[in-house]
Amino acid sequence: MPGLGAKLQAMPKQIIYLVLITVTTIPLFFDVAVPNEPLEATQDYYATLEQLPEGSRVLMASDWTGSTRGESKGAFRSTLNILIRRKAKIAFYSTADPQAPRVAQDAINELNAERRRANLPEFKRWEDWISLGYFPDSEAANNGIANDLQGAFSGRKDFPPGAPPRDVFQSPVLEGITKVGQIPLLLIVTASKTSNFTVERIKPDRKTGYPKLLFAVTGVMVPETQVFYQSKQIAGYCGGLKGVYDLEQLMENGINFPSKKEAVVKSDKYDVVPGYPSPSNKGQGTRYYPTLHFALALMILLVIVGNIGMALSKREARS
Amino acid sequence: MNYEQYILLRKTASVIATLGLYSVLYKENKFYRLFEHIFLGVAAGWTVVALWTETLKAAWWEKMVGTEAAAGSPATDGFFAYILLLPIGLMGYFVFTKKYNWMSRIPIGIILGLWSGQQVQIWWNTYGPQIDATLKPVVPTTWDSLIVPSTAGLAPEQLAKVQSQIYLSQAINNFLFVTTVVCVLSYFLFSFNAQNKSLQRANMLGRYLLMIGFGAIFGSTVMTRFTLLIDRMYFVWIEWFRDGILPLFTPR
Amino acid sequence: MLLAQVAVERGFWSEAPNSPALWTKLSICLIIGLAVMVGLMFVPVRARRPIIGMCTFIAGLYWVLLYVWPKPIDRQPDEAPLNAVEGVAIWLEESNKFVVSFTQILTALLLGLGIFSLLTIHLGKIRRRHPDALFSGVLLASMLLMITFGYWDYNQRQGEAGALLDNPANWTFVQYSRDFLFQGFLQEMDAAMFSIIAFYILSAAYRAFRLRSVEATILLAAALLVLVSLMGAVSSAWDTQVRAIANGNPFVLNFQLSEISMWIRNTFQTSSIRGIQFGVGIGALAMGLRIWLGLERTGGQD
Repeated sequence: MPGLGAKLQAMPKQIIYLVLITVTTIPLFFDVAVPNEPLEATQDYYATLEQLPEGSRVLMASDWTGSTRGESKGAFRSTLNILIRRKAKIAFYSTADPQAPRVAQDAINELNAERRRANLPEFKRWEDWISLGYFPDSEAANNGIANDLQGAFSGRKDFPPGAPPRDVFQSPVLEGITKVGQIPLLLIVTASKTSNFTVERIKPDRKTGYPKLLFAVTGVMVPETQVFYQSKQIAGYCGGLKGVYDLEQLMENGINFPSKKEAVVKSDKYDVVPGYPSPSNKGQGTRYYPTLHFALALMILLVIVGNIGMALSKREARS
Repeated sequence: MNYEQYILLRKTASVIATLGLYSVLYKENKFYRLFEHIFLGVAAGWTVVALWTETLKAAWWEKMVGTEAAAGSPATDGFFAYILLLPIGLMGYFVFTKKYNWMSRIPIGIILGLWSGQQVQIWWNTYGPQIDATLKPVVPTTWDSLIVPSTAGLAPEQLAKVQSQIYLSQAINNFLFVTTVVCVLSYFLFSFNAQNKSLQRANMLGRYLLMIGFGAIFGSTVMTRFTLLIDRMYFVWIEWFRDGILPLFTPR
Repeated sequence: MLLAQVAVERGFWSEAPNSPALWTKLSICLIIGLAVMVGLMFVPVRARRPIIGMCTFIAGLYWVLLYVWPKPIDRQPDEAPLNAVEGVAIWLEESNKFVVSFTQILTALLLGLGIFSLLTIHLGKIRRRHPDALFSGVLLASMLLMITFGYWDYNQRQGEAGALLDNPANWTFVQYSRDFLFQGFLQEMDAAMFSIIAFYILSAAYRAFRLRSVEATILLAAALLVLVSLMGAVSSAWDTQVRAIANGNPFVLNFQLSEISMWIRNTFQTSSIRGIQFGVGIGALAMGLRIWLGLERTGGQD
């Protein structure tokens, strides 16, 4: 007859799966506000975006697909919302997956549909953003960007309104750009090691200090990315669902905003970095983060139960 | 059918596909295999489309044959030497033959050569700043205070003075940081049977400290995996069921 | 310059688009390339390794030279090289776009290997009337549908209405079909596939994560700390309690969960992962040099 220890360690996996499904479903039906302190890395990420001069050119690698939609899409959307507010001009490219350019374009089209419904101006293709396409070899692509940006993107075409595809360097996004040192910001939203390949090959220009590097990575990449952040190789990062939630909170509350005394998020590093309260700030982070608590609690509970079971089994075996 | 109806139809198909894939959690079955094969088929199909439309057409074909002048775009010349990439790439497909599969190692060797040639350059780009950031001061420069004093309300000169000093608490943290890097590196590099007792102790400490890094990696990975599941549950229960199906049955 | 894309003068390497000269040179080049490929089939066995090694070495030599060769300082775009050394440096820089392009194209062509393999296996199953032939048929049908609508959609976007098709209000049957397959099936099933891992990770942690050794204890403690620190509500509640107890005492404030997790992250976690990365980096550098110099004995030595 198996003892309690053995029973505690032998819960059927189907029961575990059902409990997990329940625990990750029910909280989604409730709007729960979760108190939170954004990490320093995400604060730096937000501050770097907010302090970008208006109208700046940005190179953005969109290296995510549906497989990491839960984290990457939230980071992508929130980052885009901030950059649209800064009137940035963005050139998207992908080096990780052939699906990635289409996924990014679909996400932008979704964002534009929301902006149309809210009577906000669209994020216009050709004027505000272009898609440079897919580059199969990430290491070579990053080397090309670092050494000869014009050569790396030569021959790529995108769609001006009412005209056939044209060379991307004729677009207002990349007009006059020949070197990566002319671009203030290089942003990578990734679910793989393409962020590492970028740090390995693209260094800020000695004179301009451009481009600054910002990463939006999935949770799996957070420990590695923290290493780059600690050595100041990147200006900041947004990591995993916690990072997405932090970013949405920062978009809502700012840093030391409106003043350090009244601010929700305080920092000694910055003066005032404004927030822009709006229902549109609430994205995937706000929707999923409360539910994550229950899932993580279930994980911790099961690990504890398993270890209690092991201890009891050992005691039962001795007695 | 209007766009909203199409979206509901699309989401319904997605939910059926999701449930089909999730059925493997119970056991392997034909329903799962059907959707697995559909998934592989559309993934492979999109790869074929994207490789041409997103890469080869602009990067290879149009550079090779040139382009005619069009509205807003001048004509570009064709560089015929790009055709040489075709036989080189085709050699890769000899991997499927028994007699000539050595030839597939030529394009693979070229790719590996291009990768390995970059390692010298990227090693310093990656690790130079990290070596610099690891070499932290481990000796305190002042004993005025054992911990870093609060900087709130300090004048700029006083703030600069505080920030230029290394306090005992910082020195201890820095020492722990440097020790961790050195011990973990020692564990990796000196993985042979070290005789020296100090080296053995350093390796053992490195192994224990390595576990902290692995624990952090595990914790972060768990967050990602659970988030992906939460995203699926949100799609099924909120986007499809609550916002798509329920309104069909509830009176307006 | 050799193969410069936007050369002002038309040299030997470029011809006008669609011109007979271009197609002639292209055909000759293709014949030469195929002839070399056929010639390689008759190469003696002992020459194979040197050929592969030479190709690998030349490929890597470009990047090594680009890194180590002295570069001109503050060179202006139209400035002529002062001497042979500068000439080589300028040639290396201007060849960069060709080398990058070459790598992208070759990688794209080799990515087709996976598709080729898939086709071979599943067509074979159908031909042999394998029990899973029906599933293979489904796979090939899905692939064909995706290719059809993917290309059809792409071709429709090449005209003047390209940008308009970003707005679903302008969609036709083609865009709806492409979207149904890409978004409705591919992306959602991709998300579902990856989310299945959550179940396995939970089940595996429950069954295998045991305090059986010092290492396992440290790993579990670190993992639990990270998991708890990711829970903002728990972290916030803990910190609020500590702040209430501390009453401004800076020493006690260090026991806030956010401070503890930050200390562990900055002191131990980052440093241990850095140690791992240094080790991996040294290994990658050694492996890179061995492959480049042909010292690596795995693969290719028939």
